[in-house]
Amino acid sequence: MTATSQDRILVADDDGDIRDLVVFKLTQAGYDVEAVQDGAAAFHSIEASPPRLAILDVMMPGLSGIDVLRKVRADERLKDLEVILLTAKSRDIDVDAGFATGASDYVIKPFSPRELLHRVNALVARTGV
Amino acid sequence: MSSRSLLLLAEVVIGLSCLVLALVIVGARLHRVRATRRTTRMVAPHRPMLLAVASGEDAEGSARAHLASLPSATWEHVRSTAVVMLAKVRGAPAETLVALLHAHAEVERALGWLRSRSAVRRARAAYLLGLLHDPANVPALVPLLSDPSPDVRLVAARSLGLIGDPAAAGAVLSAVPPRDGRMGIPAWVAAEALLGMGLGVAPVLRGALASADAGVRDVAVTVAGAGAFTSVLPQLRVLLDHDPLPEVRTGAAVALGRLGGPRDVAALIRCTAPSSPTTLRRTCVGALGELGDPSAVPALTALLDEPDRRLAELAAEALVRVGTAGAEVLLRCVGSTGPAGTVARGALDMARLRGQMPAASR
Repeated sequence: MTATSQDRILVADDDGDIRDLVVFKLTQAGYDVEAVQDGAAAFHSIEASPPRLAILDVMMPGLSGIDVLRKVRADERLKDLEVILLTAKSRDIDVDAGFATGASDYVIKPFSPRELLHRVNALVARTGV
Repeated sequence: MSSRSLLLLAEVVIGLSCLVLALVIVGARLHRVRATRRTTRMVAPHRPMLLAVASGEDAEGSARAHLASLPSATWEHVRSTAVVMLAKVRGAPAETLVALLHAHAEVERALGWLRSRSAVRRARAAYLLGLLHDPANVPALVPLLSDPSPDVRLVAARSLGLIGDPAAAGAVLSAVPPRDGRMGIPAWVAAEALLGMGLGVAPVLRGALASADAGVRDVAVTVAGAGAFTSVLPQLRVLLDHDPLPEVRTGAAVALGRLGGPRDVAALIRCTAPSSPTTLRRTCVGALGELGDPSAVPALTALLDEPDRRLAELAAEALVRVGTAGAEVLLRCVGSTGPAGTVARGALDMARLRGQMPAASR
């Protein structure tokens, strides 16, 4: 699948290496990527201009990825946004909590960038243009 | 010299000492900031290549070749970022990063650092060897489980878990009890390491469940439950009833809740008696809910009036998890004005919110 410039993806992670890695991978695949380093900035960006998809770290200072997801799902205008949680929290209970809050997908760190791209492509394809 | 002068002199000395200390701290921080900036500056030109390798976007291998050919003075700055990236990715990019570290003889260096006088170096070396996931490094890491530094022992155990070779399971468990006046590795670190080694640790686990050391038994019951080691169920049943340490009995109850079946209900109910420790009682109630066997309903119902409010709440939650038979008991209690009614209403409200109400009871 080929991404178009309309496929803006928001990446929120307080770890600069992960952020750069994901941005690099998705940019190479043709996506327009915006990166922020905390949950508050992520929600602000989503509210101001909803992206096609958001990739959120769970453990971020201030608003966590789960908090952002909860706010997104509670907002009538944003509730259908596709959200991938990218996190080191790997216990079953964490995964359950992620999906229960409304995550579209859940990727555990350390992660395969290739697999993450496949998941992004699948979600973007699912939502259509 | 008068006492007043002595006091003044002491104040001056203390003040100067504080000033010197403050200057040393500021100087050290400035040095660290400058070193970090220098490293960032040195890494910057090579960071796109590192990102290409770590993201798997180096199909032609040019980025890897560039990084592999870096002179050692430059690589010194780049290596830490390469190691950081290795900890964050898996799959083919991780394999490429490992190959890059081999190209710069980082593995040999790490093996050498394991004998360094600096605990920080030994810990860093152990960490790197764990990230390589190579069982060949297990023999080099095992001796670090008795390192004088508790941090090094902890990193070594975690690295052995990352490598995942069950051959190291016995050594990790041996590092749990305190030895020669040194504290053992934390139970959760040992448990995580063993879980990383997979089902191959089962024979060692069987021995650990019968260990004379309570800490080892504690780790073993945790691993047995979290790792779904059904082959040790008979031992877990014995530990629940007879272990002298309440923590081990509690761990056995958790494991039986996950792995056991209807035949374990009676033993778990026995441990909910008021004579049992509070934590064990509560854990057994949770385990009964986990098993979800209707034969536990009468015992759980009796606990709804417990003076231990938390235990009563857990019993109500367990009844929900049992299914229709449990939910019907709670629905009958809802009208009660006593404690049972309160916990029943709370559990049913939570079940409705979570969408967990049994279909027949909605």
